[in-house]
Amino acid sequence: MNNLQGLRVRCVQGVISTDDILPARYKHMTTNPRELSTHLFENIGARFGAPLTPGSAIVATDVFGVGSSREQAVSALRAADVRAILSPAFGEILYRNCWNLGLPALKLDTSGLEDGDLVDIDLVTGVLRDPLKGSAWSFAHVPDPLLRLLRCGGLIPMVKEFGGLRG
Amino acid sequence: MAIVETILAEHTGTKHVQPGDMLITDVDRVYVQDGNSPTIAKIFGENEWDRVFDPKRVDIFFDHSVLAPDVRIADRLREAEAFADALGVNVHRAGEGISHVVALECGIYEPGTIVVGADSHTCTGGVSQALALGMGASDVAVAMRTGSVWMRVPETRWVRVRGKPGERTRAKDVLLRLLGIVKRTEFLSTSLEWCGEWVEGLTLDEACTVANMAVELGATCTFLPSTEGREPNRYSPKPPNGSHPAVYELDVSEMGPQVARPHSPADVMGVDECAGQPIDYVFIGSCANSRLSDIRDAATVLKGKSVSRKVHCVVTPGSRDIFVRALREGLVDVLVQSGAIVTPPGCGACVGTQGSIPASGAHVFSTMNRNFQGRMGNPSASIWLGSAVTAAHTAVFGRIPFEREMA
Repeated sequence: MNNLQGLRVRCVQGVISTDDILPARYKHMTTNPRELSTHLFENIGARFGAPLTPGSAIVATDVFGVGSSREQAVSALRAADVRAILSPAFGEILYRNCWNLGLPALKLDTSGLEDGDLVDIDLVTGVLRDPLKGSAWSFAHVPDPLLRLLRCGGLIPMVKEFGGLRG
Repeated sequence: MAIVETILAEHTGTKHVQPGDMLITDVDRVYVQDGNSPTIAKIFGENEWDRVFDPKRVDIFFDHSVLAPDVRIADRLREAEAFADALGVNVHRAGEGISHVVALECGIYEPGTIVVGADSHTCTGGVSQALALGMGASDVAVAMRTGSVWMRVPETRWVRVRGKPGERTRAKDVLLRLLGIVKRTEFLSTSLEWCGEWVEGLTLDEACTVANMAVELGATCTFLPSTEGREPNRYSPKPPNGSHPAVYELDVSEMGPQVARPHSPADVMGVDECAGQPIDYVFIGSCANSRLSDIRDAATVLKGKSVSRKVHCVVTPGSRDIFVRALREGLVDVLVQSGAIVTPPGCGACVGTQGSIPASGAHVFSTMNRNFQGRMGNPSASIWLGSAVTAAHTAVFGRIPFEREMA
């Protein structure tokens, strides 16, 4: 749970709005994350390139997820089997939404990470490694309540398990 | 303590909280908009939750698809209506208006309270000194069910705005200017408190625009002083004295109208720098700028004039109350006579779930708060942002005007 292994890096450049991740209108049409995931990054398709492959880590270079409260952007990323998001900074609501849905969102300087790199992440020690390149990156300590969210599988399963947030 | 810390300490029964603390807090009010209510209804259904913590303190708004544009959206709305009615919460049917506009009118935002909304522009509640937080569907579902949320206490920053801007400059222009000059991370994840003579002199309508666009600056929440004769209270911004690194100073003396060009609200220039840009569609509305003063600004410009024959001009009042007051004041008459289309209150135009959806290649001038590619429902359209004053002049000229033409 605290170790993620063999994640394939998928880079996205610049400030990324939540609208760039998932355009707004689709959430009004369906609540099915798998169907929503077919629209991921479609508005910036030219900048983003080919569709996501399962087991990816999205690597951003600036602020990831500014604007909307749209949690469906994160459930769509989960449905596309995205395992982690790495970015120097995050929009606050998207950051919450990631952890609430059990998707680690890690703040780190991502320079040096390239498309196709295979990386391992240790959430407890705060180290990301590329064993093939022999490189390592460190990131800030993840607060325990966020690791707990992850262990439970997200906010809703946690509330269900403990009967509320205070359990 | 900063305002956000005071409110969180009071709600958690602790003497002191500080930035970075993670805590669980009770909330006072929760509201939901129709775009997220289907997902929230699904969470309730999957977990067999059949009630909310207090039906009197939960509101569900139908504002993003006031006239359902297709079968799928109509079906999701039906599900959301059934969900809202089954819970016995306060329901605001289609036509009442935009959640953040109506929330102020019906007293959802009260000083010192915590309000959670399923929409990022919930931060508008900072105009009434509420800790108003936009959150995603899981957070909101839990807040509805348990009356509580988890929080990381944000760091506080202050913006002190001085000076008197030009006559045609509105709060929208000041916010765009600030977005244009600060780093994207300057106010990211902060609680943003506003102070200074410019903010203190704002009308309530303009103060709402300031609070509303705090999320465009990346803020988690925001607080403004009481304006327009509303009683000051102990949750009003109290900036550190003198020059302080936590205080951002902005001088707006003589500042003219500002415009954000496609596709970022932070790509901002003075109106004269983009004057002449042909515009196909002018939209006046949204939770940023759909209040009576915006409608009045548009009508003042359009009185006795015609919308350019090349322009599709849509005006959407923010609430039923604003619509009725605009009718009584004769503003709707002026707008319709000029060639503008006045629609029922709502906010679907922003995200392409209501219309009018711009044509491919179209240039839109809008009073909305966002212009990311694909907003309004068409990634092939380009959206420019500005105030209702600039938008109405643009409608007349069929292009972005020079400031000197905005007489």
